[in-house]
Amino acid sequence: MVIWADCSESGDCSRSIRSLVASILFHPEGARWALQCVRRSKILFYLSLLFGLGGMLYIGLGALNDLRGPGGAHPYLRIGSVLLLVAAAIGTCAQIFLRRDYASLRLQIQDISQRHLTGSHVEAVSSDLLPLTQAVNELLETTEQSVSESVMRVKELEIQLKVATNERRHAEAIIHSISDAVLVSNNFDEVVLANDTAARTFGFELGADRLPIDQIVKTSSLTELIRDMRTSGSRNSHRVVEHKMRSDQGMRIYKVTLNCVADNGDGVGGVVTVLHDMTRENEVAQMKNDFVSSVSHELRTPLASIKAYVEMLIDGEAEDHKTQQEFYEVIQGEANRLSRLIDNILSISRIESGLVQTNRKPLSLPLVIKEAIEVITPQAKMKQIGLVEKMTPAFYQTLADKDMIYQAVLNLLSNAVKYTPEGGTITVETQVNEHKHTVTTFIRDTGAGIPESDLPQLFEKFYRVERNNGMAKGTGLGLSLVKQIIETAHKGVVRVESQVGVGTTFSFELELCQ
Amino acid sequence: MAKKILIADDESHILHVISLKLRNAGYEVICARDGQEAFELATSQLPDLLITDYHMPCLSGLELCHRLKHEPTTSHIPAVMLTARGYHLEPQDMQQSGILLMISKPFSPRELLTTVNEMLQKAA
Repeated sequence: MVIWADCSESGDCSRSIRSLVASILFHPEGARWALQCVRRSKILFYLSLLFGLGGMLYIGLGALNDLRGPGGAHPYLRIGSVLLLVAAAIGTCAQIFLRRDYASLRLQIQDISQRHLTGSHVEAVSSDLLPLTQAVNELLETTEQSVSESVMRVKELEIQLKVATNERRHAEAIIHSISDAVLVSNNFDEVVLANDTAARTFGFELGADRLPIDQIVKTSSLTELIRDMRTSGSRNSHRVVEHKMRSDQGMRIYKVTLNCVADNGDGVGGVVTVLHDMTRENEVAQMKNDFVSSVSHELRTPLASIKAYVEMLIDGEAEDHKTQQEFYEVIQGEANRLSRLIDNILSISRIESGLVQTNRKPLSLPLVIKEAIEVITPQAKMKQIGLVEKMTPAFYQTLADKDMIYQAVLNLLSNAVKYTPEGGTITVETQVNEHKHTVTTFIRDTGAGIPESDLPQLFEKFYRVERNNGMAKGTGLGLSLVKQIIETAHKGVVRVESQVGVGTTFSFELELCQ
Repeated sequence: MAKKILIADDESHILHVISLKLRNAGYEVICARDGQEAFELATSQLPDLLITDYHMPCLSGLELCHRLKHEPTTSHIPAVMLTARGYHLEPQDMQQSGILLMISKPFSPRELLTTVNEMLQKAA
């Protein structure tokens, strides 16, 4: 609504007046005086917004040059002056009320803002500001609702964060308790999680920032494997491959298990790589195969003789009594060989697996050695081998299982007799080292000797020195049993020194009794 | 004239029992205790058949057969392989080494003699 009071002759709504009217809308006071030039006449205007009426007061007092006349004031001027005073009074009153209401409204809003009052409303102080008050109250309600929702959401997120943190700790604990090497990489091929075994395997420090997988895994073929898995695998992809990797301990074989980690969508967010070191398992499996193969060979050989000779006797191939007797002796000998072989295998197996209960008592080694020498003497005599004894006094005792030590000494003496040519010498000696609190038994022969290249494998099961194979029969288990008896069952040490063509010295060291 | 058979085995009892069985059947038998000795006897005596153990010192039974197969004078000698380890050779490998048969230990001397008779009859 516009109160129009244009006193000028040229009163109309030209462009300049329109801009004047527009300017009041943005005037901070809501009212103004203005001198505007309209059609070459200067016209005085008073403009004011009428808030309560929702309109505007617009008064044009006419051109200044028309207001002055010789006969005093122009009639228009008088009417205009009254209108002007009325308009000014209305405008001023409206402004005063408006400012008061506005200030009250502002104070209420400031109070709500400063005291964070919830559920507060702004009271309408006048009908003029009622729409504004309603709008402010609506805004307050909407804001309060949004804040309430945000607080709930933050609480939910805090709970989710705690759950996620706990889950991550669980995952870390699980990963660190795995004995295999575990690497978790993200979709940028950075390692985000790894365990101690992985750190040891790849030689990096845990806790470092997300390092690219290339910097941790130096084997390019493995990094390619992980990258391929991420790029070509689907979210539930699983792959197991055998992978060889060089390390400080030589070439090692790993079973690598790769699993894709699903991201939030349908894609792959990373890869979990688990490396299981198969090297030792493969070695054990190979040793087991070799052992079964060797046992099979060693059992079949005497069995073949027994079966063949028995069949010859049945078929009457042994015509005279002497040949028959010879066949019986072969069968008996081979049956004994088979029996010894089985005993040795079982003894080794029992000691290795810890099944044998050692009956350790204070024992005088010279006495046990003498018993073994007595048993071996007939065989030595047959080859004219001299047996020399250099024993320590019997009061030096060691805590040992008599039967086992007897078996070990007998095996060493038996070997010495087998591989010493006729006319040779075998010396058995015990030496006490009181400083080390040990007693060492030496069995020296003047036999064929063992090549240096054979020494490292000498105590392995079924290992036989090929060079001396033709000199005597053997199962290749005797020395292995000696090692098991001395080192596994008695925590002692077995040693060997040899020179081809000169002789061999086997020795074992045991701790003296307290 | 009796056929000549070379037996190679480092187990003296096996060597003895096979040689006795074959001699009683009328064959001429020569014995070797390792692969190297067997090779020397085979090249010098040119036997009609070789019976060899697989696992022997110096030269294994398989190496012995390989070497004999590559010698012009001995390449025709058929071989029977004895094994206590249950080794299995592919037919192609057996053919390339001149091995006609693999026999596992323990074996029957009676069956071995029958096999030898058949082989030598076919060769004749």
